[in-house]
Amino acid sequence: MTSRTVFFNIIRFFFLIFFQVLILNHINLSGYINPYFYIYFILLLPFDTPKWMLLVAALVLGWSVDIFTNTIGLNAAACVMMAFARPFVISAISSGPESLLGETPSLRNQGLKWFLYYSIILILIHHFAFFYLEIFRLNEFVETFVRALLSSAFTLLLVLISEYLLYPRGK
Amino acid sequence: MRNLFLFFREHYFYFLFLLLETISLVLLFNYNEFQKSSLYSVSNAVSGSVNSMFNGISEYFSLGKTNRVLIEEMAKLHSRIPEAFYVTDVNIFYKKDSIVHLEYKYISAKVISNSTNKRNNFLMINKGSMHGIENHMGVIIGNKIVGQVVSVSPHFSWIMSMLNKDSRISGKFKKNNQLVNVEWNGGNYRKGQVREIPKHIVMVKGDTIITSGNSDIFPEGLMIGTISGFKNAQDENFNNGEILFSTDFNSLGYIEVVVDMMRKEKEELKASFKTQ
Repeated sequence: MTSRTVFFNIIRFFFLIFFQVLILNHINLSGYINPYFYIYFILLLPFDTPKWMLLVAALVLGWSVDIFTNTIGLNAAACVMMAFARPFVISAISSGPESLLGETPSLRNQGLKWFLYYSIILILIHHFAFFYLEIFRLNEFVETFVRALLSSAFTLLLVLISEYLLYPRGK
Repeated sequence: MRNLFLFFREHYFYFLFLLLETISLVLLFNYNEFQKSSLYSVSNAVSGSVNSMFNGISEYFSLGKTNRVLIEEMAKLHSRIPEAFYVTDVNIFYKKDSIVHLEYKYISAKVISNSTNKRNNFLMINKGSMHGIENHMGVIIGNKIVGQVVSVSPHFSWIMSMLNKDSRISGKFKKNNQLVNVEWNGGNYRKGQVREIPKHIVMVKGDTIITSGNSDIFPEGLMIGTISGFKNAQDENFNNGEILFSTDFNSLGYIEVVVDMMRKEKEELKASFKTQ
């Protein structure tokens, strides 16, 4: 990890938190879709990030968003769970060393199929953890399930859009 | 002992995960009881200043609407002052007696953050303990309910909206004073659920539900909403209905916090009964 990478990750950290709390949290799409795009930060951490750093970064990220939504521990718990799953997901979907090309996971280096698997699994883990912890009851099981699925789809859409915008293929 | 250390070093990732996850969950379950608001007050001060900065910008976009609301409100108030009435009575009574006390007073405040799209929605307003706001006070807009104060810092207050899984308002039918409970089960922010309607009550669509005044949070007689649908349950003792909220929770600008001047006395009375 170069100091440049660290710098960019710190910028991204603040940008995504403010984007989440100032814009995305104010979007109301039929009461069922709440995208949590800030987890893009965890998706984009470099491959060689130490494992303990993954967990700590996720905790701090989730906590920062929690402070703005007054749900202390909720985002943090979901983010830590997602960061915990990340190394396992990467090793499960990577077939050879060429799939770990480049410094950070990206659509350009790993290809659409790899990146889709990677982000779908991690986004689903985060969103399901988040919505079921938020409600913490089983009697609204179906509504929560639908809400988590729709929101995950929307978050994935945002992730893919930013992948195509920020890291175009021919670069 | 050495093996134990090796074991921990080998699997530190799992232990760290368990540790951090436990910390998060403990925080989640301890601090989301709204009474334990010490941490909230600190984070309120931080997020409040960011939110009010953002709100200062977005406020300009709704100036026109705010003006209209204020003018309407002023017209309403003008029509209530004594000069607006044609007095036919010869005697005018002044309530200068010390027996008459003000029961409720109202503090107006501006909403600086609000949501309707979560399962648990909250609002933040730009007044706090410095202005006399305390926990458990009710929040209204016009004569319609909004929610309840759950945490205060010196300059800001955090309000649990009616649109929250922990919100439960004691209401009653305007036509016959039958008590019911009003809740919100997520989804559409315009519609809530009315629980525990006794079986013998005949409901029609459009029945008005108002606050009962039983809960010490809201005065009696504020609008909650109108019945928009109901189901006659076969095997239960109560019927459930659907309510269309009078409040449009998505367009709250200026709200009022209800200060119950006699709350302390009411609470002391209850407490004295318990200790006997």
